[in-house]
Amino acid sequence: MAVSVDEAVSTSPVQDHTPPARRFGLRGRSVLEVALLAVLAVVMLFPVLWMIETSIKENRDVYAIPAKFFGFTVTLDHFKDVFVASGGGRSTLSVAFLNSVVVAGVSTALATVLGVPAAWAYSRFAVKAKKDQLFFILSTRFMPPVVVVIPIFLMYRQVGLIDSKLGLILIYAAFNVPFTIWMMKGFVDEVPAEYEDAAMLDGYTRLQAFRRFTLPLLLPGIAATAVFALIFSWNEFVFAIFLTSSDSVRTAPPAIAGLIGGTTVDWGLVAASSVVFALPVLVFAYLVRKHLVAGVTLGAVRR
Amino acid sequence: MVTTAVACGGGGTESSAPKAPATVPELTKDPLTLSFIWFDWPPAHALEDFANAEYTKERPNVTIKVNTVPNANWHDAMFTQFAAHKTDFDIPILDSQHIGEAVTNGNILDITDFVKKNIDVNAYNPYLLAAYGQFPQAETGKRDENASLYGLPLLGDTWTMIYRKDLIGDKPPQTWDEMISVAEKCQADNPGVSGLAFHQANGSDAAAVTYNTVNGVYGGNLWDAKSRKINGVLNDAAGQEAMDVLVNKMKPLTAKGSGNWFIDEVNAAVAQGKACIAFNWIAASGALLDPKQSTLGTTREQILEKLGFATLPTQKTNLVPLGGMGMHVSAYSSEEKQAEALNFMKWFEQADIQKKWAAAGGVPSRTDALESPEFLNAGPFNKVYADSVPRMRDMWNVPEYARLVDIENTNVNAALNGAKSPKDALDDIAKEQQSVLDSSNRKGGGGL
Amino acid sequence: MSDSASLTTDHPGQAASTTPPARGRSRRLSDRWLAVVFISPALLLLLAMSVFPLLWALYLSFTDYSATRGGPANFVWFENYTAILASAQVHLRALTTLIYVIGAVALQTVLGFTIAYLISRRTHGRGLLTTLFLVPMMLSPVVVGLFWRFMLDAQFGVINSMLGSLGLGQVEWLTRQQTALFSLIVVDTWQWTPFIMLIALAGLTAVPKYLYEAASIDRASEWFRFRTITLPLVWPLLLIAVLFRAIEAFRLFDLVYILTSGGPGVSTETLSFHVYKVAFLGFNTGTASAYGILMVLVVIVLTQLYLRYLNKLKED
Repeated sequence: MAVSVDEAVSTSPVQDHTPPARRFGLRGRSVLEVALLAVLAVVMLFPVLWMIETSIKENRDVYAIPAKFFGFTVTLDHFKDVFVASGGGRSTLSVAFLNSVVVAGVSTALATVLGVPAAWAYSRFAVKAKKDQLFFILSTRFMPPVVVVIPIFLMYRQVGLIDSKLGLILIYAAFNVPFTIWMMKGFVDEVPAEYEDAAMLDGYTRLQAFRRFTLPLLLPGIAATAVFALIFSWNEFVFAIFLTSSDSVRTAPPAIAGLIGGTTVDWGLVAASSVVFALPVLVFAYLVRKHLVAGVTLGAVRR
Repeated sequence: MVTTAVACGGGGTESSAPKAPATVPELTKDPLTLSFIWFDWPPAHALEDFANAEYTKERPNVTIKVNTVPNANWHDAMFTQFAAHKTDFDIPILDSQHIGEAVTNGNILDITDFVKKNIDVNAYNPYLLAAYGQFPQAETGKRDENASLYGLPLLGDTWTMIYRKDLIGDKPPQTWDEMISVAEKCQADNPGVSGLAFHQANGSDAAAVTYNTVNGVYGGNLWDAKSRKINGVLNDAAGQEAMDVLVNKMKPLTAKGSGNWFIDEVNAAVAQGKACIAFNWIAASGALLDPKQSTLGTTREQILEKLGFATLPTQKTNLVPLGGMGMHVSAYSSEEKQAEALNFMKWFEQADIQKKWAAAGGVPSRTDALESPEFLNAGPFNKVYADSVPRMRDMWNVPEYARLVDIENTNVNAALNGAKSPKDALDDIAKEQQSVLDSSNRKGGGGL
Repeated sequence: MSDSASLTTDHPGQAASTTPPARGRSRRLSDRWLAVVFISPALLLLLAMSVFPLLWALYLSFTDYSATRGGPANFVWFENYTAILASAQVHLRALTTLIYVIGAVALQTVLGFTIAYLISRRTHGRGLLTTLFLVPMMLSPVVVGLFWRFMLDAQFGVINSMLGSLGLGQVEWLTRQQTALFSLIVVDTWQWTPFIMLIALAGLTAVPKYLYEAASIDRASEWFRFRTITLPLVWPLLLIAVLFRAIEAFRLFDLVYILTSGGPGVSTETLSFHVYKVAFLGFNTGTASAYGILMVLVVIVLTQLYLRYLNKLKED
C-alpha cells in the first residue's frame, strides 16, 4: 500500500485508459468532480480562514452582523496581546506557550529515548510473547484520559506531582511510548538486519552495530515519530486541565480555554492565540507529511 | 512569640478543620510570595494589582500572586488540590457555597478565634460575615454568633438590573411583573433588540442562580435547612410559579440561542445593543463601560447616557442573590505563609484599606466602606450593591454543594431550552437533590 | 506466539541471518540481555503510568472511597457496578454516546471516502489538495471547540449570519436537544474527515492499475469496477480507520467540555463527561472508578477488534 502524500501525487490517475467514445461524458463529469472537490475544500478550510480573519479584526468588526468577510480594518493588536500583558511585560498566555514547549519537548525526548531502543529490540530479537506484548503496549494508548486521570491524580498526590511540569511530562511520555514503539518498529523493520550482522562479523558488538550502522539510517524515522509525539503533547487538554492549575505550570490548551468564561470574551484574542498555537503544529505536520498515515494510526498502519 | 499555627481537632463542632492561632504569629522578614487562587475575571487582576501596590507598603518583602483558572474549572482546580493535601495557593477564594465542602474535609483553617481577636465584627452587616465565613450556614439575613467562622469577605456581589434608558425610560421597573411587561413592549418596539438577557448556561452556577433569584422573588424557598428537606419545599406552589414565570414569561423575551449564555454573553448582548433589560453580577459589569467593547457610545459618559443600573425589581419578596467570595486559609500551606495570610486578612479588613479596595474597583463589605464616597463614586452600579445588601439570600453551603448545583443547573437549563417541561424539571431537581442530601451514608454508586 | 504472525518484523533477512556457530552462543546470551535492557525501561514506564493506575482504579471500584472526604475505603464489592449498570442516568449517557459515535463515524467515513475518491481521480495538484484537507486534523480539540462555538453562536456566529443572508432563519445550534448533538457530530466530522480521507487515499492509490486496465478492456461499467475492484481492496484499510475513529469518539471529552458542556440539560453529556462529573464534582471516587473500568472494558473490546483486523490486514 502506497501511503504518503508525495507518493499519492506521483501515481497517475486510474482512468487514463478509458475508451475514446466515453471521453466527452467523462470531461463533463470531470468538471463536476472538480467543482465538488472545490466546494468540499472550501467547506473544510472556511473555519480556518475565518479564524485567521477574526484574529486580525478589531473587536467591533468581530461581532458585526451580518458578518464582515472583506473590508474590515486590519489590526495586529490581538497578536500583540498574546505575548504582551496589558500593563506591559510577559502575558500569562506567553508563559503558557513556554510551558507547552518545555512539557511537549521533554516528554517527547523521554518517549523517544525509551521507545526507540525498545522498538529496535522488538524488531531484532526473539522476545517471549512478542505479539502479546506489542498489543498490550498499544492498548494502553487507547485508555480514556478521563478515566486514567482519576488514579493518576491519586498517585500524583502521594508523590507530590500534582500541578507540576514533571507530572505532565511523565503522563505524556507514557502515552507517547506505545506510539513511538509501534511507529519505530516499522522503521527498524525496513532496515535489513544483515547490516548489523555484517558489522558484527567485522568484530563490532551488537550494540555498536546498532549505534554505528542502524541508528543513522533510522534518524529520519525518529524525527518523524518525535514530531507526532510532539503534536500529541502539544495539543493535549484533559490531563492538563485536571492535573495543573497555577500559571507557572499550565500549558497553552487550558490557558486558551480560560480565555472564555470571564466577563467578556475577546474572540479576536482567542483567534490570535489559536493561530499562534496551531502554526507550529501545521509546520511540523507539513515536514512529516510522508509519514502521516503511519503517524495518525499510531504507527499501526504503514506499508 | 510564634504560636502553633495548626492545632488539630475542631473543639466540639463536627468539622475537622484545623484551628488558626488567635493572634497573627511573628512574620518572616525573608522574601515571600503569598498566592491566591480565583477564576479569571477583572476583580482577580484588580486584587493582584491592588495588593501589590498597597500591602507591600506594610510588608515590603511580600509579593502577591493571584493564580487564575477558567471559571468552569474553578471548583475542580481548588478541590483537586485540597484532595491532594498540597496547594499551590495560600488563600483560596471560595464561592460562599464551597465553604461546607472545604470545612467538612478539613481543607481550610477555622479562624473563629482569630476573628474574635482581630476583626471588628460590628463594622459589618452580620449576614455578610456569615455568608462568606460561617458554617453551618446561618438563616438568611442573620449570623449565628456561636457558629465557627472559616473565612472573611473579599468581594461582595449581587445581581444588578441593567436597562436601556434610551429605550424604556429613565425610571427602572419596580416589580417583576412590570419588568416583564416593559421588556415585552421594548422588544416589540425595537426589532433586533430582545427584551431580556440573563444567565442560562448549564456550567458553573449560571442557570441555578437565575432560577433561585426568581424563586426568591416569588416567595419560594430552596430548602428547609433544619429538616434537610428539599423535595416538597423547592417544588411547592411558589417554586412552581417561579419556574413558570422564568420559562414561560421571561425566556420568550430572550434572544434566540441565548440558552447557553453566562456572564460574558450577557455583557456582549448589552454592549452590542441587543438587550433592553439584562441581569448580571455587579463585579462583572465594569466591562460594559469600556468603549472599546461597546457599540453604545465612544466614551464612558455616552454609554452611561444609555445604560441604567438598578436594584432588582421585587414581587412577593425583595430578595436578591448573594454573590461574591470570601478569602480563606489553606490548611496545607506552610506555617510561615499561613501567618502571612492571616496578617493579610487582618490588614485587608481595616476601614481605610477597604475604602482603597473600593476605589481600586473592588466591592468591600464593611458598612463604613460601603457608605463611603470612594465606593459609591467608583462605579454607577455600586449604589445598587449598597442598597441590595439587606435584601440578600444565598444558596445552601453544604458539603454536597457541587452536586446540588449541577443538578439544578442542568435541569433549569433543560427547561429553558425546551428539553424538559418546567414542572418536570423542577420536580426532578427536588427529587435528585433530596436523594443527594439523603445519600451521604449510602454504600455504593454514590454520585451518579 | 509464532513470529510469522507478528506484524512487521518477518523480513527474510532475519531468518537468513544465521550466525557463525563459533560466536553464536555468547551472542545469543548478550542479545537476550540487550533486549531486556532496551525494552524494560519503556515497559516500566507503562507499568507505572498505565497499568498500576488502572489496577488501583480497579481496587477503588469495589470501594466507597472518596478522594476528598478522606477516611478509609470500605469494600462495597459490586455495588458500584450494579448501581451504574442499573442507573437510568448512565443509560441516557450511553445512548447519547452511541448516537454520537455512530453519527460522527458514519458521516466522516462517507465524506472522507468521497473526498479521497475524488482526489485519487485527479492528475494535478493532488499533493496540495491533500495537504490542505488535512489542516483540521492537526488542530487541538480546544482550538476546534472554541472556534466552532464562536461560529455556531446563534446571535453573533458566522454560520447564522450566512444563513441569514440566504434568507433562512437563525438556527439554535448549541442550545436545542437535537441540534446540539448534531452540532457536536458536525464539528467532530469536520475535524476527523481528513483522517478517514488520508487512510482511504492510501488504499485507493494502492489499487494495482492493471486491475482497472483489465476491467476497462472488459468494458465493465464504472460502478461495477468500483464495487468489484476498488471497494474490496480499500475496505479492509477503511475498516481500520473506522474502528480507530470509533475508539477515539467513544472516549470523547474535550469537545463536549468546550462546545456545550453537556447542554442543553444533559443531552450532549457523553460517558466520559459523566465520569468527569462523578469524579470531580461529587468526588465519588469509588463510583467513578467503577464507571471508568466499565468504559475501559468497552475500549478493550474495541481495541481487540481493531487489532484483529489490523493483524488480518498485515497477513494478507
